[in-house]
Parts: sequence; C-alpha cells; structure tokens
Amino acid sequence: MNRIGFKGSTAAVLSRRLVAQDLAWAGVILLLAAVLGIWQQWQLVRLSWTGALPAHLEQQREQRRKVEFQGVKTLNLPQTYEIFQGGQALFVDTRDADEYAELHITGAVNLPSDLLERQGNRVLEGIARGRRIVVYCGLANCNKGLMVAEKLQSLKFTNVSAFMDGFRAWDQAGYPAETNK
Amino acid sequence: MRPEFQIILRRLLEIILGVLFGYAGYLKLFHADEFAEAVLAYQLLPPGLVGLVSAVLPGLELAAGFFLALGLKRRSCLMLLGFLSGIFLLAMLITLARGLKIDCGCGLFFSRQVGLGPILEDGLLVFWAAGLYYWELMVAATEPPLVAAARPDF
Repeated sequence: MNRIGFKGSTAAVLSRRLVAQDLAWAGVILLLAAVLGIWQQWQLVRLSWTGALPAHLEQQREQRRKVEFQGVKTLNLPQTYEIFQGGQALFVDTRDADEYAELHITGAVNLPSDLLERQGNRVLEGIARGRRIVVYCGLANCNKGLMVAEKLQSLKFTNVSAFMDGFRAWDQAGYPAETNK
Repeated sequence: MRPEFQIILRRLLEIILGVLFGYAGYLKLFHADEFAEAVLAYQLLPPGLVGLVSAVLPGLELAAGFFLALGLKRRSCLMLLGFLSGIFLLAMLITLARGLKIDCGCGLFFSRQVGLGPILEDGLLVFWAAGLYYWELMVAATEPPLVAAARPDF
C-alpha cells in the first residue's frame, strides 16, 4: 500500500512539473505564432488599431463579390423598391424559414439556399423562366442572395437580380413587409 | 490494449488533429479579410483588437497544428489547441444565446452559421485535445525515468 501511495504522489508531483513545462512551451509557441501572424497581417492589425478596418473589409468584400458573382445583376434599395411597386416581380427570400416567417417583403416566397441545393428544379416548378426575379437575404454582407441568384441563372432563369442591401435595410426604410405568424 | 498499439493510436489521433488545425489556420491566414469579418461579426471584441486577434489566431492554429503533426512539444500544442477550441466554443454559445445569425468562421471547406452543428463539432475538438493531453501527461508522468530518457521525444 505504502509503495503504491508513494508512486502515486511521485506521479502527481511529476505531473505538476510537466504541466508547468507544457505551459512554458505553450507560451513560446504562442509568441512564435503571434510574431508570424502579425508579420503576415500587419496591415490588418494597423487598420484595426486606427479604426479603418470595417471600411476596408467592406471594400474587400465588394471586390471579392464582383469577381465571384460577376454574372449576377445587382440592385440597390431604391431600384428594388421601384421594381416592387411595378408588382410584376417575384421576390425570393433566401433566409431560414423561421426568419422568413417572422417578417419578409410582402409577397415574397421563401427559398433557403440549402433547400435549392437539395431539391433543385423541383422547388421552382410553375415559375416561368423569363419572369423577373429579385433575390435577397438578411444583411448587406450576406452572400446567400447572390448564391441563389447565380444558381437560378444556371437553371436557365433569364431575368434574375440580387437585392444587395438585404431585408434589414428594406425593413428600416419602412417598405411593405408581412409576417406569417 | 497493447502498448505499441496505444502509441500508434495516440500519434494517429494527434496527427489528424494537427493536420485539421494546421489546415484551418492556413486557410484563415491566407484569407485574413474574411476571417476578420467573421471575428468582427461576433461583436465580442473592441474594434481595435479585431485585427490583432484575426492575425494571431490563425498563426497559432497553424503553428500548434504543424508542431503537433510533426510530434514536436505535443502536450503544449494540445494544451493550446484545447484552449483555443474552448474559447471558440464559449464565443459560439454566447452568440447563440444573443440570437445573432452570423457565419461561424469555422468551416474548413464552406461557410456555416453559428448553431448546434458547429457547437457540437467544437465540443468534440475540445474533448479530443483535452483527452489526448491527459493521456500524454499520464504516460509521461508514470513511465520509468530510463524509458522516458530513451524515448525519442522533443
């Protein structure tokens, strides 16, 4: 018994010493990683420190979107409202079903991007390929609207646009919205 | 379980974990703007620190994952990766509780929203890293000194 107890306490002391060593080496690796990261991303660190990071990120996002979704026509808030007033366009809400149910652009249908991926053409039956379609998501920085618009174009819908400002901007402008709840 | 098999299993689990984190860190480091957007969206840090955190975290994932996969300072790497995963898990839980619908910034191959799936995955990573750390520590603390001295550890 004594021998086992002795062994146990030795192991506990050794464990504590090992944990201390591990912490010290973890500090060294952290320092190394910090130097590597800051050296690689100095511009990001500087922009953040000077408060210019959000504007920089928005600019970069726009550039990425232009390249990634270059074939998709985009609309801003006034253009979208004008189309809405025309009454001919089909509005497609790409947010999740619960967000859509809470509030959406009046007359919009819900088509989350994962549903379109899973069911493809089946969810679009009965919609004329030439009909004007405006796709949107929640915020100006979300890409779901653009992704769905691109997917619809690949399914031969010829008059698809993405409303870039998102539903929050629409709602904040006080434009017509309805709820399913 | 035979000791040789235990050693192989442990190293295999460490290599997989190291490669996962190393690759995730590499992706974030070279898509830094997108990662900074994800960090900013969590709204948990003062804006002045977002850039620093966005620069250091991927470097940390890359370095710890790389060293772990190579077998260098394994316990320290496991400690760091477990800690990182734990912090991230906490951030996601806070975000979920606040009802924010944001990209988790955790997808290796595609973007995903903060939710139950990413939280469970991250919980698994915490458990994986902590379990391996405990296993390594117990082996190191209980093996005879001569064996420890002869073991090709760095």
